[in-house]
Amino acid sequence: MSGAGLLGSAQSVSQAVALHCEGITKAFQGVHAVNGAAFEIPQGQITALIGPNGAGKTTVVNVLSGAMKCDAGRAFLGDTEITNWPSYKIARQGLLRTFQLSRELGGLTVLENLLTAPPHQAGDSLVNVLLRPGSIRRQEREHAERALHLLEVYRLYRHRDTRARELSGGQKKLLEMARAVMASPKVLLLDEPMAGVNPALIDLIGDYILDLKRSGVTVLMIEHNLNVVEKICDYVIVLAEGRTLATGRLSELRENTEVVKAYLGEVMDAGAAR
Amino acid sequence: MSLFWLSVGFGLVTASVLTIAAIGLSLQFGITNYVNFAYGDFMALGAFFTYVLNNQLLHLNIWIALTLGSLAMGVFAVTVNHFLLAPFARRFPTTHYVLIVTFGLSLIMLNVIYSIWGADVRFYAVPITVAMHIGPLLLTKNQLIVMGIAAALMLGVHTMLRTTRLGKSMRAMSDNTALAMTSGIDTRLITTITWFLSGAMAGLAGTVLAIDEGNLTPASGELFLFVIFAAVILGGIGSIYGAMAGAILIGLATEISAAFINPAYKLDVAFVALIVALLIRPSGLIARPGTT
Amino acid sequence: MTYYVFTLVFFLFDYFILAMGLNIQYGAAGILNFAYIGFVAIGAYFTGVASLPANTLGQQYILGLGLPFPLNTLIGGLAAMLLSVAVALITLRRLRTDYLAIVLISMSLVLYDFCNNFVSMFNGADGLYNVPEPFAKTLGLSVNSFIPFFACVAGVVALIMWFVMSRVTRAPLGRTFRAVRDDHVVAAALGKDVFRMQLKSMMIGSFYAGIGGGLLIQFGGSFNPTAWLPGETFVVFAVLIVGGAGNNIGMFVGALLVETLLIHLPAFLPEIPGHPGLIEYFDLAVVGIVLMLMLWFRPQGMVPESVRRAASFGASERPDGEADDLELGTPAAPARVAFESGDPQ
Repeated sequence: MSGAGLLGSAQSVSQAVALHCEGITKAFQGVHAVNGAAFEIPQGQITALIGPNGAGKTTVVNVLSGAMKCDAGRAFLGDTEITNWPSYKIARQGLLRTFQLSRELGGLTVLENLLTAPPHQAGDSLVNVLLRPGSIRRQEREHAERALHLLEVYRLYRHRDTRARELSGGQKKLLEMARAVMASPKVLLLDEPMAGVNPALIDLIGDYILDLKRSGVTVLMIEHNLNVVEKICDYVIVLAEGRTLATGRLSELRENTEVVKAYLGEVMDAGAAR
Repeated sequence: MSLFWLSVGFGLVTASVLTIAAIGLSLQFGITNYVNFAYGDFMALGAFFTYVLNNQLLHLNIWIALTLGSLAMGVFAVTVNHFLLAPFARRFPTTHYVLIVTFGLSLIMLNVIYSIWGADVRFYAVPITVAMHIGPLLLTKNQLIVMGIAAALMLGVHTMLRTTRLGKSMRAMSDNTALAMTSGIDTRLITTITWFLSGAMAGLAGTVLAIDEGNLTPASGELFLFVIFAAVILGGIGSIYGAMAGAILIGLATEISAAFINPAYKLDVAFVALIVALLIRPSGLIARPGTT
Repeated sequence: MTYYVFTLVFFLFDYFILAMGLNIQYGAAGILNFAYIGFVAIGAYFTGVASLPANTLGQQYILGLGLPFPLNTLIGGLAAMLLSVAVALITLRRLRTDYLAIVLISMSLVLYDFCNNFVSMFNGADGLYNVPEPFAKTLGLSVNSFIPFFACVAGVVALIMWFVMSRVTRAPLGRTFRAVRDDHVVAAALGKDVFRMQLKSMMIGSFYAGIGGGLLIQFGGSFNPTAWLPGETFVVFAVLIVGGAGNNIGMFVGALLVETLLIHLPAFLPEIPGHPGLIEYFDLAVVGIVLMLMLWFRPQGMVPESVRRAASFGASERPDGEADDLELGTPAAPARVAFESGDPQ
């Protein structure tokens, strides 16, 4: 990674970094999925992670969120090194993630899915369950209040008592996001939040993401659709063959070298074909 | 010192029985990706099939009865898979259900065997043979035949997996069922054949276990089951060669340890080996890809 | 006659407790504990040696504390819980479901083998006997009046344990167990320590197993290793599946249907001459078949797992949003979401 950082020389002076990684490497049975990826995610902005299929985007997200251990490299959340921490510890530090194929907690209701998310719940301790039912009930009421509000915003309120496995694909996508938001993340990694949903929902999810930014959440999202990236993302990281190919604003990348141009063309074609 | 070599002999025989059983269990696990908890009762039922042919109906020679009993057990396994296990495995996405079903099948089979043959200890009509000295070892002809069967089976399975179309298809399915299906392998047929082989090996193992122990009860397979598990996990579950290695190690370890400690605890040695294997190398001696 | 009826009542309550314990492990947290009966046995043995006096003729055992009723049973429960911690440390960290089931069932068999052989700890294959009947001396109960009395004691214990368990399953803890069961990767991504959660459910469940075992040994006055072969675990699974995995009331229904009606009622049938044990063998096979039919035709059980409705949290009600179904109507700009943390200004 060059010292210039994400923003080019002119703007980068005072930009805080929410998450950064260097030299991330991960191989599966000898094949490198990620090979030295390095980048910085600026605080409070929306950053897109793009690249062709097999570029290692999801693997990077898996490594950053602790779902996989990397073979080499380091990752930092703010000033804290989180390299190869178990994912629950990373989540407790404020880094939350969603999954490319929605993974709902199927046997739980929609509301219960959200109620699982808040960190440091008194009611997860057996001692509290047995001895302090009152304070648990209070905390649960507060959480439920906030969860129901979120469900209203995410248009799932009507389905609050439905088991999550019974939702439609689009609704599961919304639930996945709402659940991560319920955990009050500092940094949110979204793995293709708009994959496989209808165009109206794409706009809606885009608005949600912009809204998260307004609330101060740092967002890193894997996205193929460059129209979406152009509309809502501040910065772009291009990953190819497990390496960071380029970083910057989409407009800057468009004027970048021939290689990048050719590459972006390919992605755009792929995006148009979808 | 002679006690030591005596137990090495016993160990080789136990290892042979264990190898046959472990290959059968491992073969089926590799293809269907769930454990058959009724395997011990498959062994017992196979042993009783042989018993019927050897003692009750036709009074066949033990080795002929063994062959027919094992084949019958293979047919039984195919039937059980077709009508019970395969439907459950197809219908429920998580393996919990089919594991509970095999566990239940174990209870049903055990009690059906008890209902038919009772709890009495029974004996095969085996020609009595004298022990002979082979190097430092002391073995009977029957024990040598059991070892021969195990060795032939190992060689046969190895040849099948490496050279035949069937064996290659099985290895492909064991690595990745979906991929095997898309590349034109008839996965249902392979599964059926695998169940036949697994059942036949269970029957074979159950019978030679009874020959080795000198008697036969409905519960003997069940108690032997975890020794098989120990061997299979030690070797790396789903790996045929791992199963062979684990079986030989566990077989020798249990019998040789019996020369030094109270023989009543020899099964516990297998369990200790299992725990140590899990703590040090949970994926087994020979890890199988894709089963983390 | 009352003797028989109250025997049935006792087993109903005892298996209600046992099934609740397995339910928090399997029904809630998804741990396929095929060694459950081992924890019941440990509870029974430790209750036994905690209540037997220091020395009795012809038996060998450890402890011999001579403790009275609730304390001895509590020791049984705690012993089972301790064992579960050891088991969990070895098995839960890295093992997938079927490995875990293999190790647990092996452990159950080895414990059986061990207790059979290791005479000085638990008296070997003979098991423990002459375990004192609680309150029998102080209340002057005869053999006949002890059975109804202790069935009632078991009822009270079951009621208390049901109350506690329903609190656990309703609490965030129970919800987190179910989250781990449904998808442990998601649970971890939401900040849940999956291992700790599974450990907790193992401990709670094993405590219940131990208490249930403790009541068993005091009811019969003896406990024999043959009572805890793996088949016995299967009976508790049958209670759980028939009743409805995940539901505590279902455990009572399951105990009633399986343990009382299927297992114990046929035991009062006369033996078929010349075929000792045939009814019992046949009966256990029927239990297996019933379980399979149930799994196929009604996998959710007689009383399915219930969900906690939004209204029960005491949060303010809202009118159902009209825009909820996105496929209808064009989406409007979403309302601003409030955050607990992360607000820049």
